Amino acid sequence: MAFPHRLDAPELPDFSMLKRLARDQLIYLLEQQHEVDKLYKVENKPAVSSSEQLCFLVRPRIKNMRYVASLVNADKLAGRTRKYKVIFSPQKFHACEMVLEEEGVYGDVSCDEWAFSLLPLDVDLLSMELPEFFRDYFLEGDQRWINTVAQALHLLSTLYGPFPNCYGIGRCAKMSYELWRTLEEEEDGETKGRRPEIGHIFLLDRDVDFVTALCSQVVYEGLVDDTFRIKCGSVDFGPEVTSSDRSLKVLLNAEDKVFNEIRNEHFSNVFGFLSQKARNLQAQYDRRRGMDIKQMKNFVSQELKGLKQEHRLLSVHIGACESIMKKKTKQDFQELIKTEHALLEGFNIRESTSYIEEHIDRQVSPIESLRLMCLLSITENGLIPKDYRSLKTQYLQSYGPEHLLTFSNLRRAGLLTEQAPGDTLTAVESKVSKLVTDKAAGKITDAFSSLAKRSNFRAISKKLNLIPRVDGEYDLKVPRDMAYVFSGAYVPLSCRVIEQVLERRSWQGLDEVLRLLNCSVTKEDKASSESLRLILVVFLGGCTFSEISALRFLGREKGYRFIFLTTAVTNSARLMEAMSEVKA
Amino acid sequence: MRRLISACLCTGRKYELYSMDWDLKEELRDCLVAAAPYGGPIALLRNPWRKEKAASVRPVLEIYSASGLPLASLLWKSGPVVSLGWSAEEELLCVQEDGGVLVYGLHGDFRRHFSMGNEVLQNRVLDARIFHTEFGSGVAILTGAHRFTLSANVSDLKLRRMPEVPGLQGAPSCWTALCQDRVAHILLAVGPDLYLLDQSACSAVTPSGLAPGVSSFLQMAVSFTYRHLALFTDTGYIWMGTASLKEKLCEFNCNIRAPPKQMVWCSRPRSKERAVVVAWERRLMVVGDAPESIQFVLDEDSYLVPELDGVRIFSRSTHEFLHEVPVASEEIFKIASMAPGALLLEAQKEYEKESQKADEYLREIQELGQLTQAVQQCIEAAGHEHRPDMQKSLLRAASFGKCFLDRFPPDSFVRMCQDLRVLNAIRDYHIGIPLTYSQYKQLTIQVLLDRLVLRRLYPLAIQICEYLRLPEVQGVSRILAHWACYKVQQKDVSDEDVARAINQKLGDTPGVSYSDIAARAYGCGRTELAIKLLEYEPRSGEQVPLLLKMKRSKLALSKAIESGDTDLVFTVLLHLKNELNRGDFFMTLRNQPMALSLYRQFCKHQELETLKDLYNQDDNHQELGSFHIRASYAAEERIEGRVAALQTAADAFYKAKNEFAAKATEDQMRLLRLQRRLEDELGGRFLDLSLHDTVTTLILGGHNKRAEQLARDFRIPDKRLWWLKLTALADLEDWEELEKFSKSKKSPIGYLPFVEICMKQHNKYEAKKYASRVGPEQKVKALLLVGDVAQAADVAIEHRNEAELSLVLSHCTGATDGATADKIQRARAQAQKK
Repeated sequence: MAFPHRLDAPELPDFSMLKRLARDQLIYLLEQQHEVDKLYKVENKPAVSSSEQLCFLVRPRIKNMRYVASLVNADKLAGRTRKYKVIFSPQKFHACEMVLEEEGVYGDVSCDEWAFSLLPLDVDLLSMELPEFFRDYFLEGDQRWINTVAQALHLLSTLYGPFPNCYGIGRCAKMSYELWRTLEEEEDGETKGRRPEIGHIFLLDRDVDFVTALCSQVVYEGLVDDTFRIKCGSVDFGPEVTSSDRSLKVLLNAEDKVFNEIRNEHFSNVFGFLSQKARNLQAQYDRRRGMDIKQMKNFVSQELKGLKQEHRLLSVHIGACESIMKKKTKQDFQELIKTEHALLEGFNIRESTSYIEEHIDRQVSPIESLRLMCLLSITENGLIPKDYRSLKTQYLQSYGPEHLLTFSNLRRAGLLTEQAPGDTLTAVESKVSKLVTDKAAGKITDAFSSLAKRSNFRAISKKLNLIPRVDGEYDLKVPRDMAYVFSGAYVPLSCRVIEQVLERRSWQGLDEVLRLLNCSVTKEDKASSESLRLILVVFLGGCTFSEISALRFLGREKGYRFIFLTTAVTNSARLMEAMSEVKA
Repeated sequence: MRRLISACLCTGRKYELYSMDWDLKEELRDCLVAAAPYGGPIALLRNPWRKEKAASVRPVLEIYSASGLPLASLLWKSGPVVSLGWSAEEELLCVQEDGGVLVYGLHGDFRRHFSMGNEVLQNRVLDARIFHTEFGSGVAILTGAHRFTLSANVSDLKLRRMPEVPGLQGAPSCWTALCQDRVAHILLAVGPDLYLLDQSACSAVTPSGLAPGVSSFLQMAVSFTYRHLALFTDTGYIWMGTASLKEKLCEFNCNIRAPPKQMVWCSRPRSKERAVVVAWERRLMVVGDAPESIQFVLDEDSYLVPELDGVRIFSRSTHEFLHEVPVASEEIFKIASMAPGALLLEAQKEYEKESQKADEYLREIQELGQLTQAVQQCIEAAGHEHRPDMQKSLLRAASFGKCFLDRFPPDSFVRMCQDLRVLNAIRDYHIGIPLTYSQYKQLTIQVLLDRLVLRRLYPLAIQICEYLRLPEVQGVSRILAHWACYKVQQKDVSDEDVARAINQKLGDTPGVSYSDIAARAYGCGRTELAIKLLEYEPRSGEQVPLLLKMKRSKLALSKAIESGDTDLVFTVLLHLKNELNRGDFFMTLRNQPMALSLYRQFCKHQELETLKDLYNQDDNHQELGSFHIRASYAAEERIEGRVAALQTAADAFYKAKNEFAAKATEDQMRLLRLQRRLEDELGGRFLDLSLHDTVTTLILGGHNKRAEQLARDFRIPDKRLWWLKLTALADLEDWEELEKFSKSKKSPIGYLPFVEICMKQHNKYEAKKYASRVGPEQKVKALLLVGDVAQAADVAIEHRNEAELSLVLSHCTGATDGATADKIQRARAQAQKK
């Protein structure tokens, strides 16, 4: 378990600097500027505070502005005068000021900015904590956060040296890259001449690989996220885990020694590991017996505290495991996984479709059903019209008509689409590919631009060999490739692309894949970077814990160290919720 | 000009800066004259109004460099001018009689004008002074009503009216503006009395130790730094003291009772010597601590310009500088001086003559251990020399002395060489900025560069920057930017040529902002040029604000989109929204998808109606449909309103050829109406339930008939209906009804779900009933569910299905199942044999 890293793997950079920067700035804003003494959460309700000034720390969203404006206006009606301060993080938007102006409170409110964009959640994980990025960009086409991403990259490169090799897939990756380059050029000279620490940077759009994000996670950390929802690197374990009447907030990161050893493991191994661990712990406790006074004193003063700590963590994780087992090892879950694997491999489509239909009919879970439909659509490059209609009808009957909007959202984002009638997918595909390789066919490609949102999953899967050939049982205890994060059934597309590029040291030989993925950027500076094995992977629109685990595995195998920068940690449920329309 | 008395104790010297060939037609005394300090330009306004000359002739305002080169000449078309003066930024302030102040640039270009207030306008200006403070330049005005008004900084105009002087009948005999503790005061003399005016009060003051018998003060002079004051009385007596009048430094009686034309201080900072230069028509007198004065005869009309470390004196033919000899120079050049510097200079001279005396001098200095001092003295003295040959010989001496020193830091020598080179360059006749070394240090190189730029001497400024290796951003780039801003004002050159010329020179020089230059071009009314220049601006974010200002909003929009900065795009959008009419605005949006989506988002939260209009305009019926769907549950409360919204939505979907959505919407309308009816008839809540939930609720409420009817009406597929009924009946634990239902016809979902659901409700008895009816494929599962392991094993063996066998085997726990397990193993072994 928890394999050590190869000896030639580099050290991770120290992110405490980022924390310090953000913290100092916030403390300055709050204390020096506005003398804040109490913090409240911004909720949609009147503020109960007798304080003479109110200070709001908010994301720059119109909704938040209307909330602030309503508070100010309520105070005005009541004849109260206080001072209002809005601190926008990570930056102020003109639209927000505009709303304040339209609501007639612009003069009463003063604004400030807290340029905080990178939260180190773990030693190798930086999150921008922008879950709205996904919907804003991939659904609404709002590019506001791209600037924030570029700023974040700029900050990283000023702190940790320039990045010699950049690879990116997706339109958003391209825009972020270009904006970031402009920033670098404007402030030329700052990073010049610095020795690079991070050798490669990958920028990936979430819509390049929806499939991975839509699969059920079976690696421990991913499962915990799917089951209990990890928020900002910590999780609230309810009574069913703690086996007491209180719930417990637990920080999940490398500091937690027990968690650190099981986080990347396939769930089937976790319980065995934990019981082994429990036995070891017991043995260590047992050493007490037959100790003389001096040894006992030593034991109590030095080891006991550590053991107790470990004991506490162990019981928490065992509790969590039990709770997960209760939910997940049922037959239902097995069948769900089986269907997912069938979808990934592309066989028994009819059977899977009726499974999904039954899933909807039985009202198992609106989010789950939606997820399966999307998975079906993406892997099959769109649903055949008959299924498209009937599944939607069923879904509307189960969950209400407002989901007409949800479907319209999903279609726009390319998550749930209809196959072009009369033309089987592969036929269109091969036609287009021929046309594209013909350079003279520019116009025709435009005509097919509606195909841009097509996922091409099947073709990519074949090219990149995402479905490992099964010969015998896949040994989940000793994984042989990244497919272990999905029980050996599927290698995450995003991670495979990274693996391939690193192996080939360029896109060379991946032309076909690139064409299928639509858009890419590259900047290579081979000479200086051969020895740099520290790699920054930027997920635009969120990444899942399964992807993180897979890349950590790759790093251990090949002697790389990966750092993850994501707009937010996500999972299938979060993606679906972002696309769903719900009655307010 | 001849020197009259050379033997003096007051050590002053005078040298010629330039011989002027400015070809003045008038006498200086007929002109209003203003010369800017720090070797600045000279302004002359000929033919002033006080002379009763032919009023028809318009006066001419002329501006010359300190060397007499004409910089500008313009006909004066405005009102009578009382006083001229230069501001610290080298702008010419012309104070008119009506209190208006016109501001001109160095090249006679009109900059702006401001007024000194109504009170001044009414009472006219009697006299005015321009003075310099640490904030900038101030104007003080004496009005016809004998009141003072002043502003301490003309670039941030705040007028202050000074308090009245009690009993003042006529104009004061003399007055001056003082600046103490960062506040401007007025000191004025009325007969034998002196008054100090500050913001709030007028106080009478008496200079300490003033000789008796004074009945009037004729002239007063404040030193350059406002530290000292000199008073000239009608008895020919001069009092010199601190500006506070509290301390007398010295006094002098020159026995000339005629009022002097000018009186200025001549001293250098940190010097103990005080001297005042007094000028009459034909006489110049330098008086100070010493009992004797130095006198010069003035051959022609002259004008004195006080400087930081001396006085400039210019006339029709010459321009001279009079100053106290600096200590270092005095030590070296004093006759028979034995100062180390003097000896070193001598040594070097001898050395050049290849005389052995060089060694003797050098030895003498070294014996006293003063070589370092000698070198320093020579370097310092070189700085104070005006003539390059003198500078050279002193520097040569310093360099010579340096050879005999071990560790003399070279930078003071190097810096002096550099400074002198710069100074000699700007002192050149063609440039005409006669700065002394001390003035140059006080002014700083940055300000000097600004002044060169002001004189449009761009090449020289750039050469200096390069020579001094100033950082590009502060140096060359800044000057190039200034040059470009000047270039855009050349109206006779075409836009293309100007833009190209600027780009050629500037290229990608760091620190140059093309948008600033473009802003200047726009300021000159050259919009097209500005747009061309903006093309060179690499940061599109910088282009946008100016484009907006120039009302090129559409261009601004595409630039903003190019920049990728949504916030910028939004700024432009709001601009456009106010600027264009709605139709045009929408059309513009239509061509810019990114802007459109941005605006849509804003509308979604702020202006729902606009959002609808946007969709309408684009014939985007799909989105329009979605819009009304959302309205049907978010905006409308009444059922009629909701149905109406849905109807609109359905229409839109039809237009969008989205029949599916249209049908679904129509179904929803029907369902809503029906739910309403159900609520009325049956009570309970039905509204807003999904179809599935509606049917479930009906079954749970025991309205089976209604449920069936609804299912038929909405064509609920059989499978769903079975699942639904199964779940609902199990929830009710209505086993009888469930059994009846199961027998109503063949189950489309099989019977395994029946088993499962019964087991979920822990009803094994019921479960077993259904287990027998489960089809062969799922039989094993069903039997296992109800816990009949043995029978499950039998079925599995019968099926000869390996997977089923292992499944059963995995359920074989506990002692009772031992036999079954054996049975399976045996069956397996048999199967393998075959």
